[in-house]
Amino acid sequence: MAEQIIFVIAAAAALMSGALVVTLENAFRATVALIVTLVSVAVIFLLLAAPFVAAIQIIVYAGAIVVLFLFVIAYMGDRPAPGLEDRLAPYQAFTWIFVIALIGQAGIMLANSNLVGLYDEPAATDDIGSPEAIGRAFIDDYIVPFEATSAILLVAAIAAVLLAKRGVNFEGGR
Amino acid sequence: MSGVPLFWYLMLSFGLFGLGLVGVMRRRNPLLMLLAVELMLNSANIALVGFARQWNNTDGQIFALVVMAVAAAEVVIGLGLVVAVFRQRLALNVDEMSSLKG
Repeated sequence: MAEQIIFVIAAAAALMSGALVVTLENAFRATVALIVTLVSVAVIFLLLAAPFVAAIQIIVYAGAIVVLFLFVIAYMGDRPAPGLEDRLAPYQAFTWIFVIALIGQAGIMLANSNLVGLYDEPAATDDIGSPEAIGRAFIDDYIVPFEATSAILLVAAIAAVLLAKRGVNFEGGR
Repeated sequence: MSGVPLFWYLMLSFGLFGLGLVGVMRRRNPLLMLLAVELMLNSANIALVGFARQWNNTDGQIFALVVMAVAAAEVVIGLGLVVAVFRQRLALNVDEMSSLKG
Protein backbone atom coordinates (compact mmCIF):
# COMPACT_ATOMS: atom_id res chain seq x y z
CA MET A 1 0.00 0.00 0.00
CA ALA A 2 2.79 2.41 0.88
CA GLU A 3 4.42 1.79 -2.48
CA GLN A 4 1.20 2.68 -4.30
CA ILE A 5 0.78 5.92 -2.35
CA ILE A 6 4.38 6.96 -3.03
CA PHE A 7 3.97 6.05 -6.71
CA VAL A 8 0.82 8.16 -7.08
CA ILE A 9 2.44 11.17 -5.39
CA ALA A 10 5.68 10.93 -7.39
CA ALA A 11 3.89 10.31 -10.70
CA ALA A 12 1.52 13.23 -10.16
CA ALA A 13 4.44 15.50 -9.24
CA ALA A 14 6.39 14.38 -12.31
CA LEU A 15 3.49 14.91 -14.71
CA MET A 16 2.41 18.27 -13.27
CA SER A 17 5.92 19.71 -13.16
CA GLY A 18 6.54 18.26 -16.63
CA ALA A 19 3.51 20.18 -17.88
CA LEU A 20 4.99 23.31 -16.30
CA VAL A 21 8.32 22.66 -18.05
CA VAL A 22 6.68 22.78 -21.46
CA THR A 23 4.22 25.63 -20.80
CA LEU A 24 6.00 28.23 -18.64
CA GLU A 25 7.20 31.19 -20.69
CA ASN A 26 10.06 32.10 -18.37
CA ALA A 27 13.09 29.90 -19.12
CA PHE A 28 14.41 30.09 -15.55
CA ARG A 29 11.11 28.90 -14.07
CA ALA A 30 10.82 26.12 -16.63
CA THR A 31 14.26 24.86 -15.60
CA VAL A 32 13.35 24.92 -11.92
CA ALA A 33 10.20 22.93 -12.77
CA LEU A 34 12.46 20.43 -14.53
CA ILE A 35 14.31 19.89 -11.22
CA VAL A 36 11.01 18.80 -9.60
CA THR A 37 10.39 16.39 -12.48
CA LEU A 38 13.88 14.90 -12.21
CA VAL A 39 13.63 14.38 -8.45
CA SER A 40 10.20 12.75 -8.86
CA VAL A 41 11.65 10.42 -11.49
CA ALA A 42 14.45 9.57 -9.03
CA VAL A 43 11.77 8.55 -6.50
CA ILE A 44 10.21 6.35 -9.20
CA PHE A 45 13.61 4.73 -9.73
CA LEU A 46 13.85 3.99 -6.01
CA LEU A 47 10.45 2.27 -6.19
CA LEU A 48 11.75 0.23 -9.14
CA ALA A 49 14.61 -1.29 -7.12
CA ALA A 50 17.24 0.93 -8.76
CA PRO A 51 18.90 2.93 -5.97
CA PHE A 52 22.14 3.47 -7.90
CA VAL A 53 20.33 4.84 -10.96
CA ALA A 54 18.33 7.11 -8.65
CA ALA A 55 21.52 8.46 -7.09
CA ILE A 56 23.08 9.06 -10.50
CA GLN A 57 19.84 10.74 -11.61
CA ILE A 58 20.13 13.25 -8.76
CA ILE A 59 23.88 13.77 -9.16
CA VAL A 60 24.13 14.00 -12.94
CA TYR A 61 20.76 15.46 -13.89
CA ALA A 62 19.69 17.65 -11.01
CA GLY A 63 23.27 18.35 -9.99
CA ALA A 64 25.12 18.92 -13.25
CA ILE A 65 22.82 19.25 -16.26
CA VAL A 66 20.28 21.56 -14.64
CA VAL A 67 23.04 23.73 -13.19
CA LEU A 68 24.53 24.00 -16.69
CA PHE A 69 21.12 25.11 -18.01
CA LEU A 70 20.79 27.68 -15.24
CA PHE A 71 24.29 29.05 -15.93
CA VAL A 72 23.51 29.47 -19.63
CA ILE A 73 20.16 31.14 -18.89
CA ALA A 74 21.84 33.49 -16.41
CA TYR A 75 24.60 34.23 -18.96
CA MET A 76 22.14 35.10 -21.71
CA GLY A 77 19.85 37.15 -19.53
CA ASP A 78 16.13 37.47 -20.06
CA ARG A 79 16.22 38.62 -23.67
CA PRO A 80 12.98 38.15 -25.56
CA ALA A 81 13.20 37.24 -29.21
CA PRO A 82 13.02 40.57 -31.07
CA GLY A 83 9.87 41.02 -33.07
CA LEU A 84 9.34 37.46 -34.12
CA GLU A 85 5.76 36.57 -34.74
CA ASP A 86 5.03 32.90 -34.52
CA ARG A 87 2.95 32.13 -37.58
CA LEU A 88 1.92 28.81 -36.11
CA ALA A 89 0.67 30.18 -32.78
CA PRO A 90 -3.06 29.83 -33.66
CA TYR A 91 -2.58 26.13 -34.30
CA GLN A 92 -0.90 25.24 -31.03
CA ALA A 93 -4.01 23.47 -29.75
CA PHE A 94 -3.43 20.85 -32.43
CA THR A 95 -0.13 19.96 -30.72
CA TRP A 96 -2.01 18.88 -27.60
CA ILE A 97 -4.69 17.06 -29.58
CA PHE A 98 -2.10 15.16 -31.60
CA VAL A 99 0.00 14.18 -28.60
CA ILE A 100 -3.00 13.14 -26.49
CA ALA A 101 -4.22 10.99 -29.39
CA LEU A 102 -0.74 9.47 -29.72
CA ILE A 103 -0.51 8.65 -26.01
CA GLY A 104 -4.04 7.27 -26.04
CA GLN A 105 -3.13 4.98 -28.91
CA ALA A 106 -0.01 3.81 -27.09
CA GLY A 107 -2.01 3.12 -23.93
CA ILE A 108 -4.70 1.15 -25.79
CA MET A 109 -2.05 -0.83 -27.63
CA LEU A 110 -0.26 -1.60 -24.37
CA ALA A 111 -3.49 -2.61 -22.62
CA ASN A 112 -4.34 -4.99 -25.45
CA SER A 113 -0.88 -6.49 -25.75
CA ASN A 114 -0.26 -9.86 -24.18
CA LEU A 115 2.86 -8.74 -22.33
CA VAL A 116 3.69 -11.28 -19.63
CA GLY A 117 2.89 -10.05 -16.15
CA LEU A 118 1.79 -6.59 -17.22
CA TYR A 119 -0.85 -6.31 -14.50
CA ASP A 120 0.62 -8.78 -12.03
CA GLU A 121 1.95 -8.04 -8.62
CA PRO A 122 5.67 -7.40 -9.26
CA ALA A 123 7.80 -10.32 -8.15
CA ALA A 124 10.54 -9.83 -5.60
CA THR A 125 13.82 -9.00 -7.30
CA ASP A 126 17.33 -10.12 -6.58
CA ASP A 127 20.12 -7.65 -6.05
CA ILE A 128 19.83 -5.87 -9.43
CA GLY A 129 20.21 -2.21 -8.51
CA SER A 130 23.14 -2.02 -6.14
CA PRO A 131 26.42 -0.39 -7.21
CA GLU A 132 28.06 -3.82 -7.00
CA ALA A 133 25.57 -5.46 -9.37
CA ILE A 134 25.78 -2.59 -11.83
CA GLY A 135 29.59 -2.53 -11.69
CA ARG A 136 29.74 -6.27 -12.35
CA ALA A 137 27.33 -5.97 -15.27
CA PHE A 138 29.40 -3.15 -16.77
CA ILE A 139 32.70 -5.00 -16.43
CA ASP A 140 31.44 -8.46 -17.40
CA ASP A 141 28.94 -7.83 -20.19
CA TYR A 142 29.00 -4.19 -21.21
CA ILE A 143 32.67 -3.23 -21.26
CA VAL A 144 32.52 -2.02 -24.90
CA PRO A 145 29.52 0.31 -24.39
CA PHE A 146 31.22 1.55 -21.23
CA GLU A 147 34.37 2.51 -23.14
CA ALA A 148 32.28 3.96 -25.98
CA THR A 149 30.53 6.17 -23.42
CA SER A 150 33.86 7.56 -22.27
CA ALA A 151 34.76 8.31 -25.90
CA ILE A 152 31.42 10.11 -26.38
CA LEU A 153 32.02 12.23 -23.29
CA LEU A 154 35.54 13.12 -24.50
CA VAL A 155 34.21 14.15 -27.93
CA ALA A 156 31.48 16.23 -26.29
CA ALA A 157 34.04 17.99 -24.08
CA ILE A 158 36.26 18.80 -27.08
CA ALA A 159 33.24 20.05 -29.05
CA ALA A 160 32.17 22.27 -26.16
CA VAL A 161 35.64 23.80 -25.95
CA LEU A 162 35.68 24.47 -29.71
CA LEU A 163 32.18 25.97 -29.68
CA ALA A 164 32.91 28.17 -26.69
CA LYS A 165 36.02 29.66 -28.32
CA ARG A 166 35.60 33.25 -29.37
CA GLY A 167 35.72 33.82 -33.10
CA VAL A 168 33.46 31.02 -34.21
CA ASN A 169 31.37 32.73 -36.85
CA PHE A 170 28.27 31.10 -38.24
CA GLU A 171 27.37 33.46 -41.03
CA GLY A 172 30.71 34.41 -42.55
CA GLY A 173 33.00 31.50 -41.74
CA ARG A 174 36.06 31.92 -39.56
CA MET B 1 -1.79 -6.15 -3.64
CA SER B 2 0.93 -3.86 -2.38
CA GLY B 3 3.14 -3.20 -5.38
CA VAL B 4 2.49 -1.18 -8.51
CA PRO B 5 2.20 -3.25 -11.71
CA LEU B 6 4.43 -2.49 -14.68
CA PHE B 7 1.46 -1.10 -16.62
CA TRP B 8 1.29 2.05 -14.54
CA TYR B 9 5.01 2.72 -14.81
CA LEU B 10 4.72 2.44 -18.59
CA MET B 11 1.73 4.77 -18.62
CA LEU B 12 3.73 7.31 -16.59
CA SER B 13 6.54 6.90 -19.11
CA PHE B 14 4.13 7.52 -22.02
CA GLY B 15 2.72 10.59 -20.29
CA LEU B 16 6.13 12.16 -19.70
CA PHE B 17 7.16 11.37 -23.27
CA GLY B 18 4.02 13.08 -24.56
CA LEU B 19 4.74 16.18 -22.50
CA GLY B 20 8.27 16.30 -23.89
CA LEU B 21 6.89 15.92 -27.41
CA VAL B 22 4.51 18.82 -26.83
CA GLY B 23 7.44 20.90 -25.61
CA VAL B 24 9.57 20.13 -28.65
CA MET B 25 6.73 21.01 -30.99
CA ARG B 26 5.55 24.17 -29.22
CA ARG B 27 8.81 25.81 -28.25
CA ARG B 28 10.81 27.92 -30.65
CA ASN B 29 13.69 28.65 -28.27
CA PRO B 30 16.39 25.94 -28.62
CA LEU B 31 17.17 26.13 -24.91
CA LEU B 32 13.60 25.25 -23.97
CA MET B 33 13.49 22.55 -26.63
CA LEU B 34 16.50 20.93 -24.95
CA LEU B 35 14.58 20.94 -21.65
CA ALA B 36 11.72 19.09 -23.35
CA VAL B 37 14.18 16.57 -24.83
CA GLU B 38 15.42 15.89 -21.30
CA LEU B 39 11.84 15.04 -20.33
CA MET B 40 11.61 12.53 -23.17
CA LEU B 41 14.93 10.90 -22.24
CA ASN B 42 13.74 10.57 -18.63
CA SER B 43 10.53 8.88 -19.72
CA ALA B 44 12.56 6.35 -21.71
CA ASN B 45 14.67 5.72 -18.61
CA ILE B 46 11.54 5.00 -16.55
CA ALA B 47 10.47 2.38 -19.09
CA LEU B 48 13.96 0.81 -19.17
CA VAL B 49 14.25 0.58 -15.39
CA GLY B 50 10.66 -0.68 -15.11
CA PHE B 51 11.35 -3.53 -17.50
CA ALA B 52 14.59 -4.26 -15.64
CA ARG B 53 12.59 -4.86 -12.47
CA GLN B 54 9.91 -6.81 -14.27
CA TRP B 55 12.38 -9.37 -15.56
CA ASN B 56 14.75 -9.22 -12.61
CA ASN B 57 17.66 -8.19 -14.78
CA THR B 58 20.29 -5.47 -14.43
CA ASP B 59 20.60 -4.75 -18.16
CA GLY B 60 17.81 -2.16 -18.30
CA GLN B 61 19.51 -0.13 -15.60
CA ILE B 62 22.78 -0.27 -17.54
CA PHE B 63 20.97 1.12 -20.58
CA ALA B 64 19.46 3.87 -18.43
CA LEU B 65 22.92 4.87 -17.19
CA VAL B 66 24.28 4.99 -20.76
CA VAL B 67 21.28 7.12 -21.79
CA MET B 68 22.14 9.53 -18.98
CA ALA B 69 25.74 9.83 -20.19
CA VAL B 70 24.56 10.47 -23.75
CA ALA B 71 22.07 13.04 -22.44
CA ALA B 72 24.88 14.86 -20.64
CA ALA B 73 26.95 14.95 -23.84
CA GLU B 74 23.95 16.15 -25.83
CA VAL B 75 23.23 18.96 -23.39
CA VAL B 76 26.86 20.11 -23.44
CA ILE B 77 26.91 20.37 -27.23
CA GLY B 78 23.40 21.84 -27.43
CA LEU B 79 24.14 24.54 -24.90
CA GLY B 80 27.48 25.23 -26.61
CA LEU B 81 25.60 25.84 -29.84
CA VAL B 82 23.05 28.05 -28.07
CA VAL B 83 25.83 30.17 -26.54
CA ALA B 84 27.66 30.41 -29.88
CA VAL B 85 24.46 31.58 -31.61
CA PHE B 86 23.82 34.05 -28.81
CA ARG B 87 27.31 35.54 -29.31
CA GLN B 88 26.43 36.30 -32.94
CA ARG B 89 23.53 38.46 -31.72
CA LEU B 90 21.18 36.26 -33.68
CA ALA B 91 17.64 35.58 -32.55
CA LEU B 92 17.30 32.38 -30.54
CA ASN B 93 14.60 30.96 -32.73
CA VAL B 94 14.89 27.62 -34.48
CA ASP B 95 12.79 28.87 -37.39
CA GLU B 96 15.34 31.58 -38.07
CA MET B 97 18.38 29.34 -37.75
CA SER B 98 17.78 27.43 -40.94
CA SER B 99 20.93 27.93 -42.98
CA LEU B 100 23.67 25.31 -42.97
CA LYS B 101 27.18 26.29 -43.97
CA GLY B 102 30.27 24.11 -43.81
